[in-house]
Amino acid sequence: MTVQATEEDIRERALIDRSTRFPVLFFFTSAAAWLFVATILGFFSALKLRNPGLWDGCEFLGYGRIFPMHMIALVYGWALQAGIGVMLWLMARLTRHQLKYGLGIVAIGHVWNALVAIAVISIWAGFGRSIPLLDFPAWMAPLFAMVYMAMVVWVIPMFKGRRSGSVYVSEYYLVGAALWFPWVFITAGILISQQAAPTMAAASASWFVSNLIYFWMAPVALAVAYYIVPKIADRPIYSYQWAKYAFWILAIFSGWTGFQRFYGGPYPAWMPAASGSAVVFILLCVVMTIANLAMTLKDKTKLWEVSPSLRFTAMGMFFFVVYVCFSALSIVPKVQPALQFSFFLSGLDTLAIYGFFSMTIFGAMYFIVPRITGCEWPSAASIRNHFWFSTYGILTLIICLLVAGLTQGGYLSQPDILFSTSFVNSTCWVVGAAIAWLLIAASNLWFFYQLALMFVGRGRKSKGPTLIHSSGHGHVQAEGAAKTV
Amino acid sequence: MNTNNFWGLVGGLAICFAFPWLFLIVKPFKSEARTVAVSYNAEEREAVGLSVYPDRSTLRFGESDFGAKVYASEGCAYCHTQMVRPTYAGPDMWRSGWGGRDAAGLARETRPEDYYGEPFAFLGYQRLGQDLSNVGHRITTREEMHRHLYDPKSFDADSGMPKYKHLYKWSDVTGKYVPSSRAEALVDYLLSRKKDAKIPAADKRNG
Repeated sequence: MTVQATEEDIRERALIDRSTRFPVLFFFTSAAAWLFVATILGFFSALKLRNPGLWDGCEFLGYGRIFPMHMIALVYGWALQAGIGVMLWLMARLTRHQLKYGLGIVAIGHVWNALVAIAVISIWAGFGRSIPLLDFPAWMAPLFAMVYMAMVVWVIPMFKGRRSGSVYVSEYYLVGAALWFPWVFITAGILISQQAAPTMAAASASWFVSNLIYFWMAPVALAVAYYIVPKIADRPIYSYQWAKYAFWILAIFSGWTGFQRFYGGPYPAWMPAASGSAVVFILLCVVMTIANLAMTLKDKTKLWEVSPSLRFTAMGMFFFVVYVCFSALSIVPKVQPALQFSFFLSGLDTLAIYGFFSMTIFGAMYFIVPRITGCEWPSAASIRNHFWFSTYGILTLIICLLVAGLTQGGYLSQPDILFSTSFVNSTCWVVGAAIAWLLIAASNLWFFYQLALMFVGRGRKSKGPTLIHSSGHGHVQAEGAAKTV
Repeated sequence: MNTNNFWGLVGGLAICFAFPWLFLIVKPFKSEARTVAVSYNAEEREAVGLSVYPDRSTLRFGESDFGAKVYASEGCAYCHTQMVRPTYAGPDMWRSGWGGRDAAGLARETRPEDYYGEPFAFLGYQRLGQDLSNVGHRITTREEMHRHLYDPKSFDADSGMPKYKHLYKWSDVTGKYVPSSRAEALVDYLLSRKKDAKIPAADKRNG
């Protein structure tokens, strides 16, 4: 399906890019700012774990408040916002529609940022609910849902009114993610607020977290991968059929996940079992996706060296594989009792949010931002720094948390050993996690600076269509040469 | 399924999601919301001193409901679980006191009914601290519980729990730190953590 782009196509793309410029840049920059906040909070929460006595008397610096603040900032501030930015741009490009009401979306985006700030501050001030990723006070949940829908609803008319006949697989993923999130979020919010069934309320919260990863982050990231990889490789995706099957596998099974966290909990045994087997089926989706992308890139892997978009996306996909494999391994009955409630599972959450989702989204950002601003990234060296600091940071973080989890789980599963031993012997690994958060924070501060430069560098925008040729840092993209629908 | 049209895609997604939504979440939620208490027979009533299971009224005392809010706002549930797993899923019950009163032969895993009447079951995220399902049986006096919150290391030098000093205020009258209302409520809540009630013989619910 790779055809030469006509003059008209190029002009049309430029118009689309221009229509998305403000909303998408707004989401990207505010997301990057939240990411920096989240990484700093991540550092402090890791520090507090290692040294619980630090700032003892201070109510506002307890782990029980900093950690949820970190998670909320990371997911609602960074991941959701960056994902929504990518969603809007990708959908506009794929359906060849200009984004309407750009300024309205920016205005709603401000409301979203205000909500995230209120959520973080209210946890800090002691209004948290101890419900992972739904920690904000109950009255905020409907607001989050409404604002999310007001930002993402524009994807639907674009998709419905698209002009090209066939649907590209990324569009499925985007529509799926756009629709699924409010469904899960509102369900969990309503069930928790009813206060009628305590254990099922806890389960629906865990179901929400799991679905946020499997049916929001995964589809958005896969939509990016299915877009970036063929673009950079300059050839159509290897198999549309596989991509479609992978999508439906994810759609069918992701809704069943969530209970694996509560294996042996106060639920009928079939529920955690169903969730566990759903994760194993999702492995199938991963295998198909990765095989498909790898076949698309076949004998063009050299592009990894020059294209930052491809490099970040490929790293994200690598972490996706690691994440789903480890998730599947962690529910093997022999090891689950030990790993449940250990650093292993919280490490996996971080791997999903930062390793897999964020790296892929960075790939998309490196692709999108030059197009919508009309100027190139300022320096190749800083992209390399961002990449390697992030990669080494996340690898250090994950390895430390996974080893800490194994250590902790090992001690916890021996009832004769004093409980505190498991804490003391596992938190020494958390020192590594604290250092890793610093590495990641440094890399993201740098990224935020670059993004801000792009943001204010509007004066350098090119006059004509956004045709980006390879510039000094070797940003090779065959945008002008090929159109992959 | 023709996924090239919008409603085909939305319909397909809706069908995929409706099954887990309904059968994994909504129906179990409704059925838990209809939890009914089961009576003990005369013999058990004598031994247990309760008339029905679950009977939350005996476990709510003082300001334990407000205490649950303090528990949540301090983020206790990020480090403490309230979920005792059966032996096939972990060695929780072999830890002394976790499953309940071992000496009385009452230790067992937690069941959905044990959380009856609570607004939210704080099953937990990580297990950095002890499981608290039955902490009301392990730490039985208010003084001891306050000391645990104020200075956890006085119980176990290796404890990873920070001191919750900010829940205590200096009093010029008595010349020492006194618990704030939040600390009192939290202690009420913690003392009410007793999830080892004997299951009535008439209760056929699958645990």
